[in-house]
Amino acid sequence: MPTELTRIIELFQLPFMQRALLGGILTGLMGGMLGSFTILRQLSFFSDALGHSALLGISIGLLLGLNPSVVLLPFAVVFALVVTYLLERTRLWTDALLNIIYSSSLAIAIITLSFVGQYKGGLNNLLFGDILAVRELDLVFSSFLLIICVVFIGLTLRTQMLVTLHEPLAIARGVSVSTHRTAFIVLLSLVVGVSIKAIGVLLVSAFVVIPACAARLLSRTFTNYVLLSAGLGALSAVGGMLISAAFNLPSGPSIVATQLVIFLTAMALPRLRVLGQG
Amino acid sequence: MKEVVLAVEQLTIYRETYVAVQDVSFSLEAGTDTAIVGPNGAGKSTLVQAVLGILPCQAGNVFILGQPLSRKGSLAPQIRQQIAYLPQNFLFDRRIPLTVEELVGLGWDRLGFQLPWANRRKRRHAVRDALAKVDALHLRHQLISGLSGGETKRVLLAYCLVYPRRLLILDEAPAGLDMRGETEFYQLLYQLKQEQDWAILQISHNLDMVRRHCDRVLCLNRTLLCQGTPDMALSPENLSAAYGSEFVRYRHQH
Repeated sequence: MPTELTRIIELFQLPFMQRALLGGILTGLMGGMLGSFTILRQLSFFSDALGHSALLGISIGLLLGLNPSVVLLPFAVVFALVVTYLLERTRLWTDALLNIIYSSSLAIAIITLSFVGQYKGGLNNLLFGDILAVRELDLVFSSFLLIICVVFIGLTLRTQMLVTLHEPLAIARGVSVSTHRTAFIVLLSLVVGVSIKAIGVLLVSAFVVIPACAARLLSRTFTNYVLLSAGLGALSAVGGMLISAAFNLPSGPSIVATQLVIFLTAMALPRLRVLGQG
Repeated sequence: MKEVVLAVEQLTIYRETYVAVQDVSFSLEAGTDTAIVGPNGAGKSTLVQAVLGILPCQAGNVFILGQPLSRKGSLAPQIRQQIAYLPQNFLFDRRIPLTVEELVGLGWDRLGFQLPWANRRKRRHAVRDALAKVDALHLRHQLISGLSGGETKRVLLAYCLVYPRRLLILDEAPAGLDMRGETEFYQLLYQLKQEQDWAILQISHNLDMVRRHCDRVLCLNRTLLCQGTPDMALSPENLSAAYGSEFVRYRHQH
């Protein structure tokens, strides 16, 4: 164990590890905070579909010789708006429609990638992310986005609560539900888009879903639930990074595994309490 | 002459391809109680949802407290704050971690941009007052998922009365309660109506309740068949026009 500890201390003196840790915390906070509303509004599959479809954005970027991170954010926003439009216009089920969109974008993405010669080395990074490649500019952008999320959710918290609880009730109170829905989806897409580089297209939705579900199991009020969800997102990022450094494991999957441990603990906690009392 | 709280003029509402409500006009004065009756599919819920701006209307005008409702359903926020609406079968996702106190607090808020901790004391005070009036103060820390049907309705009445309102719109508010629950709900509603001087517009299938409590009745079946006092509007002739003659024979035999 002491060797692992020294290893962790040595590693976190390196700037790229510090950047990775900070990036993980920022992503965890944003994912957790928006995730708390996402799961209640049954949009968790949306973040998954967006993650998968993002590969199309990346592959188009590669084909055009553009930096994937530059293409990713506009792609995410356009994707969000198109999906929202289709959901309101067609009478199909949300999950079925999202499935059509993400499997077809995935198929087109892989076909596009076959035209880009040297993609093979990069595919692994696209699928599972490379948190160690987080640059300073990414951190600046993530911090900026976190501030937007905190301000937006903070100032509209009560409206968000009412919209989540019952849409007609919110409309009767004068809330423009469709504007709020679109604003939330665009924000969620930006968060997913920013996080893809570090965590990869396959695991990005875990950051939105798992901490929020764990927080739901532990919360007794709505406000605590949102705060706890963000907190657990950050905590799992720190825990996952430490484990990944200590045992030389891939970072993104280590964070998701940590989220799972937190979720399982949250599930077991009430039972443990009962045992403790008995 | 009392103040007119709600005025509806020649309202016509299309749902997809058919006319759901055609050329309906009526008005509601302060402190009075009007019931909308009619068979299923008569457009009752459509009508109240259009009055609230939840559904768009294609022709006609709605004025609430003298202010017009725009075609897109928007209304000045200070007017909105004076209306409360309880939808038919208030179905919410029971997994949402919201306490009774938080739910009732949402009825108090203005819902614009505000700091989450703004007016915390005032809100809490208003919420506890409202919960005490519906005899539900002891439920305040409970999650809404744990409430029984009757408790949910009482908490929703607290949501209505946590802020001084002028107009209450109820779409079959006691639906889902048993007979005793329904009686208790109406007892509480009319006691609060006296105290708060609410004008009430409600959709109801309980014609006996309507006879007892309401000042006026609107018989609706796509168009407004008649309106007037319960005795007049609920006469066998008018009922058979609204529900069909078999319904009236049934009611007279039972």
